[in-house]
Amino acid sequence: MNPAPAVAETEITVSEAVTFPDGIPGFESCRNWVVMAAETATPLRRLHALDGADASFLAIDPRAVLDNYRCELSAADRRRLGAGDTDPLLWLAIVMMESNGALTVNLRAPIVINPKTMTGQQVLPHNCLYPLRHVLVDAE
Amino acid sequence: MLVFTRKRHEAIMIGDGVEVRVLRVGKDGVRLGIVAPNEVRVHRREVYDQIRDANQSAVVSPGQLAQVAERLTKAK
Repeated sequence: MNPAPAVAETEITVSEAVTFPDGIPGFESCRNWVVMAAETATPLRRLHALDGADASFLAIDPRAVLDNYRCELSAADRRRLGAGDTDPLLWLAIVMMESNGALTVNLRAPIVINPKTMTGQQVLPHNCLYPLRHVLVDAE
Repeated sequence: MLVFTRKRHEAIMIGDGVEVRVLRVGKDGVRLGIVAPNEVRVHRREVYDQIRDANQSAVVSPGQLAQVAERLTKAK
């Protein structure tokens, strides 16, 4: 039940396929994903499904959005990721384009990846108070 | 759909490891206790649906990637 560390000690990069044993909600058949740097030098990453469906997401470290972002992983979540209490984990919040043109980010249900086991999941915390659609860029 | 009548403290078993127990029956709701193995994730249906809808609306085409990245960079 540790909160996410305030600042990742080193930049975590994931270049091989990450296994999501349950897929993610809406993409349950996508079990293998790659995480790539997005085109620009922002903290933006691109998540791309290798199987199941042709899906790409943009995602960003939630701590790059809110400095004090804290989200607790349950013991069961940690076990599913094969993560010990001190293992560094890659946190990614999915970016959404709203129909009004705004860009929002899902801080409520972050993607968490354990680079050691190359396992990931979208965490749906039971007590997370962050918004599902936190506005990053207002409508144009 | 299977339908059961259960009283308070009674339970049903699903498969080997999942138990759903009625803890309390109130005027506006029923309080359930769930016991499930670690690999079985348990969520409120509406929460799962919200996240699923958000994920589905988040898919970006290759053409949108650069555009979104640029807008985010400018906003910083």
